[in-house]
Amino acid sequence: MLLQRLIKAALVLVSCFTDIETGPGAVVSTQPNGDRFKIEGRAIVPGMKTQDWVSTARVLVEGEEYVGFLRTDGSFAVNDIPSGSYVVEVVTPTYRFEPVRVDITSKGKMRARLVNYIKTSEVIRQPYPLQIRASGPHSYFMKRETWGWTDFLMNPMVMMMVLPLLIIVLLPKVVNTNDPEMRKEMEQSMNMLNPNPELPDVSELMTKLFSGSKGSSKASSSSKGSRPVAKRSLLYRFLYQ
Amino acid sequence: MAKLILLLLKLCILFFVVHAVFEDQVGKFDWRQQYVGKVRFSHFDTQMQSSKKVLVATESNVFAALNTRTGELLWRHADKTGPEGNIDALLHHAQDAVLVVGNGRMLRSWDVNIGGMNWEILLDSGSFRSACLVGQQGTVKHVAVLKKTVISVHYLSNGHQKWIENLPESEIVDYQTVYSGGNGQVFVLGIVPHSHITIVVYSMEDGEIIKQVSVEAPWLSNIPVSCVVVDQGMLMCVDSTTMSINTLDLHQQLQMTQIPLQSLGLEVDPDFHPSLVSHQPNPAQKPLSEFFLQLGPERFLLLQLNNGQIVTLRDFKPALLASFATTGEKTVAAVMSPKNKTACSINLFSADTGRRLLDTTLIFTVDPNGGKPERLHVQAFLKKDDSVGYRVMVQTEDHAVTFIQQPGRVMWSREEALSDVVTMEMVDLPLTGTQAELEGEFGKKADGLMSMVLKRLSSQLIMLQAWIAHLWKLFYDARKPRNQVKNDISIENLSRDEFNLQKMMVMVTSSGKLFGIDSKTGGILWKRYLDNVPSNAAFKLMVQRTTAHFPHPPQCTLLIKDKDTGLATLHVFNPIFGRRSQVTPPALPQPILQSLMLPLMDQDYAKVLLLVDDQYKVSAFPSTKNVLQQLQETASSVFFFLVDSSQGRLSGYRLRTDLSTEQVWEVVIPTEVQKIVSVKGKRPNEHVHSQGRVMGDRSVLYK
Repeated sequence: MLLQRLIKAALVLVSCFTDIETGPGAVVSTQPNGDRFKIEGRAIVPGMKTQDWVSTARVLVEGEEYVGFLRTDGSFAVNDIPSGSYVVEVVTPTYRFEPVRVDITSKGKMRARLVNYIKTSEVIRQPYPLQIRASGPHSYFMKRETWGWTDFLMNPMVMMMVLPLLIIVLLPKVVNTNDPEMRKEMEQSMNMLNPNPELPDVSELMTKLFSGSKGSSKASSSSKGSRPVAKRSLLYRFLYQ
Repeated sequence: MAKLILLLLKLCILFFVVHAVFEDQVGKFDWRQQYVGKVRFSHFDTQMQSSKKVLVATESNVFAALNTRTGELLWRHADKTGPEGNIDALLHHAQDAVLVVGNGRMLRSWDVNIGGMNWEILLDSGSFRSACLVGQQGTVKHVAVLKKTVISVHYLSNGHQKWIENLPESEIVDYQTVYSGGNGQVFVLGIVPHSHITIVVYSMEDGEIIKQVSVEAPWLSNIPVSCVVVDQGMLMCVDSTTMSINTLDLHQQLQMTQIPLQSLGLEVDPDFHPSLVSHQPNPAQKPLSEFFLQLGPERFLLLQLNNGQIVTLRDFKPALLASFATTGEKTVAAVMSPKNKTACSINLFSADTGRRLLDTTLIFTVDPNGGKPERLHVQAFLKKDDSVGYRVMVQTEDHAVTFIQQPGRVMWSREEALSDVVTMEMVDLPLTGTQAELEGEFGKKADGLMSMVLKRLSSQLIMLQAWIAHLWKLFYDARKPRNQVKNDISIENLSRDEFNLQKMMVMVTSSGKLFGIDSKTGGILWKRYLDNVPSNAAFKLMVQRTTAHFPHPPQCTLLIKDKDTGLATLHVFNPIFGRRSQVTPPALPQPILQSLMLPLMDQDYAKVLLLVDDQYKVSAFPSTKNVLQQLQETASSVFFFLVDSSQGRLSGYRLRTDLSTEQVWEVVIPTEVQKIVSVKGKRPNEHVHSQGRVMGDRSVLYK
């Protein structure tokens, strides 16, 4: 019952086997109209003998439209190409080669330039006959994460501990603390750190509010007086050691 | 979709869930198989004693070298697909293999040791007829290419053209063969069908016509089919109408001498076109004076031409295939004859006497799920005691290539049908016993509390039992020495693994061969070759019943449709074992327009397949009463659409309760304006049945 309802809901059953002969793409006429030219060049893999990689290599002109193969010395020539502009690339499973664009005029003049799909009319000339160098092996794989000594250092906890330590240790060595001018500057910067003695201290206010007034105020004023001095002396001790 | 599957298989196959992202994962979850295609020409590389390769040129425009020891590819070069990359001829000499490609468009020479090209030149236009190596005084330095109107001779070392000549009267005469016997002359044989043979002799040095003769031959229609050149330039042609062999001396070219077959005591089998096979081991020397004559589908004769007389050396009856092979100075003939229903034996015979060589029998078992042997390629070599040993490569109808060593051990076998996979389905493997138990809890009506508890307890006990058995087996296997533990996947103990990752890949290839491949290892578990598959066939594979419904076996249906006539056949089989199913499919006398699988299930859980024939009547498979009843109930909501791309007509039909259809709508797109190129429906395993489709940028596209 449920199943029937389901079928009724799915009105048009679109999973059909369509009985269509797939129409061919553009039917290319095989009669050569106009002259045919050939694209020549040489492919080099630095550091490898040509006979090792040449048996797996092909030259593709404009995808699979025209296919050429490499000779035993690494050179190639793709024949039977009409005039036009083509992207030539050497394809091997092991090495990566950069593609090159070759323009062939109707008179047969060849011009090789860099491939730029965005600015297609940009011309940065390349030598013709083509000289294609392998720019390294293909990288098909991701590298596994490895352990390294930097992992320990880049830990934020470690950085918070080690870096301030370094600053405190190294900074006085760098700054010449015996210079009276330097001392004056540092004193000034210290004064900026100190809170304004005129401003009421919030913590004092709070303790006054919640506890007795007399005893605490005396203690607080004495501590207030001694505190900045204590602060200054602590810092001085570090810097002027 | 089919193209995608083809590409996937042709290049490489990665395991479908895990992609090898890290380099150390390579090979663990994936496998790759490389194929070359149906072998068209093959040559063994016997240059050096140690060279162990065979060169093959295939129908799929691939030129490859296989290692004869293991059958692995050494290298392969795939040219453009289509007729422009078609390999027309393969000539092999020493280190070089010369190929004529693209109906005579290009001539290429390959270095077979390195796998790189020596040279490639563009030939002048004209359709290709024949090519041969031209030798002189024992060395071969040139190759001659014959086209419809010209003949050109090129240097073998660099491909440059030595000379090119127009063929005389090429619009009347159809030049078909070129032959060179090693004496510096190139013979071009042409024919005016049912009239005469024209022989033009060119000098190899400069292309001058030395002689041009016409010889009467009113019975001959095609030279490469009926004639061969034997011995010192003797053209032998067999004619079935006059039951005779006609010979002609190409050097003297006087007249054809007719030798009736009856004078030799032979007769041709009725309705059979006899053919001749000759052998020229070295292109710089004359061919052998022995040749094979095939008089019937199972009858071969080894004949010898001796001073103008034909002598019968041996009569092979029954014989399926015959071939010559040369090693060093000795030439042998290998003949395959059927021994019994499942095996054939191959024997070697000395070519000059016809005597059988001792200890040269090789048994070839014909796989009942494969095709019959089609061609025989023999690699002969001299053994230490100067006798001839051989290995043979048998090519069968199902594109498989098997390499066999004496006395019948298969060294390797390549299933080249897999180079052209048309469609495939991944089928779940059958459930194990414990998994079936677990599944048994669901889907059944609740009996009562007690019964459910008991069922649960019993299934847990069974699982415990299975687990203990598994542990015991592990323990036992660990104690046995390692080499005795067999760990190969066999078809008997296949079952689903933990996450249902390992599946059975059922592949249908264009040659009509079905394969069942294990997705974990890539090994072929079963194969089946279907007879009578038309060459221009369209396939559709549907899984009618999966392995989830236990007592009923899984069922797959393959619909094979001949594109020309529209007639279709159904092949129903079990996808796990590959065997034909017990269910007989209906005969389909009418051409089928469309097939459609409904989610309606029969009582045994098989989905219903509807077939629309060209009378717009629908037949259902399986057509039991239950199914027909269900169809009648749901007929009003089943709709089809049919597209006729030649007329540009789309029409929609609805199913009526008596399984006929009525047209509901029709749209005509005039073909002068636009032509329908392809039609795509929803994927059959699509789960989302909505009117909109979610695009990549998360917007929804509504139709």
